[in-house]
Amino acid sequence: MGVKFLEIAWKDIVVEFRSKSTISLMVLFSLVTSMLFSITVPVAYAQSIGASLLWLIFIFVGMLGYARAFVREVELETLDGLRLAPVHPASILAGKMVYNLVLMLLTEAVVLPVFIGVFNMSIARPLLFLGIITLGNAAFVTAMSSLAILVIKSRSKELLLPVIAFPVIFPVVSSTVFALNMAVSGKVQGIEGPVKMIVSFAVIILAIAFLTSEYVFTD
Amino acid sequence: MVEEIVLENVVKSFGRIRALDGVSLRVEKGEKVAILGPNGAGKTTLVRIISGQTRATSGKVEVMGKNPSTFSRELRRSMGFVSHNPMLYDELTAYENLKFYAKLYDADESRIPELLKKVKLYERRHSRVKTFSRGMKQRLAIARALIHNPEILILDEPTSGLDVEGRLELLNYLKAFEDRTILLTTHNMWEAEKLCERAVILMKGRVVKECSTREAERTYLELCGLEFD
Repeated sequence: MGVKFLEIAWKDIVVEFRSKSTISLMVLFSLVTSMLFSITVPVAYAQSIGASLLWLIFIFVGMLGYARAFVREVELETLDGLRLAPVHPASILAGKMVYNLVLMLLTEAVVLPVFIGVFNMSIARPLLFLGIITLGNAAFVTAMSSLAILVIKSRSKELLLPVIAFPVIFPVVSSTVFALNMAVSGKVQGIEGPVKMIVSFAVIILAIAFLTSEYVFTD
Repeated sequence: MVEEIVLENVVKSFGRIRALDGVSLRVEKGEKVAILGPNGAGKTTLVRIISGQTRATSGKVEVMGKNPSTFSRELRRSMGFVSHNPMLYDELTAYENLKFYAKLYDADESRIPELLKKVKLYERRHSRVKTFSRGMKQRLAIARALIHNPEILILDEPTSGLDVEGRLELLNYLKAFEDRTILLTTHNMWEAEKLCERAVILMKGRVVKECSTREAERTYLELCGLEFD
């Protein structure tokens, strides 16, 4: 794979920061959703379901934003340029994943403090909380990036992606929520189980995506 | 002579539509072949199969002895592709676009200034591609396709969007590649004759005639049942 996937990721990062088409959408959507939740969810419940709501925000934002890495290549008609290059399709996919990870980390950096502040959440194990949500997001990015390549040619890609993604991401969604609630409450005995599930899920999805990438990338 | 591109009975179906229906073609190393035909004849599908972007439904496809739809770094490095779609990133500058592709192709980045001068975009090397006209983008696309010095050049309507002067400049530039294999799809008989020796006429997914590019125009018009008074 070499470092070509990093070249692809860097190119996407430069393009994104010049156009700001995806990151601004993701951050704004996250903030608006946080505000909406803060209005609609009673404060009394915030502590008990806050982690779940936060994770929901990241899922919605991810559905919106992570496919853009490929969709933009299709819209600009540059995907063919990548396909023609002597770069293994797995490298292209890896580059898109790295780019989406960067978007995810930036979104987290903005949304997490705002959400925790708005809901006045008290987190017993904040570093563990941060670690779990980052790990969950990374697994989610892996899955969404892998699935996005399947829908980019579809006319209703934005609608199709969540439909095909949901059954696939269910393990990581439920495991992350479970682990996050443990980190919020401080009752972390047994947290290794959901963490292992998240990591295993990411590894399996990654392996399947890389093994099938060559087939998926050719018409 | 070494056969660089070999197609035998290639079929490509998109659902019920047969874009290519048993196409056989051989191109020798260093040969320059024009693929002619009306819209929908299968020209673009043919070159996409040869370049590895599309997989044939059936039939044998070999480029330099390898199946292009199976990933091969060596094969990809030996091909350059120019189409009416420039495959450039609007938010990157001309220089950045070429640098990106040079890195993907492990090409020598020091060639970038020379290439930009050849396509007359050196003065605009730090301008973002989104500020370029259609013709400028197409010229940069040619530089992109040549950054890695490919042995085989596949040109799918490459002069699309260029003015007369631009077309002539491009053709003169491409003529300098005497020792390269060139596959050109075009509607323009004059371009075909200028650049290529042999013409393959495609209609409804089938090769209907192979002839010299000098004979191609008359032959093509006869096949279409057209006359020019």
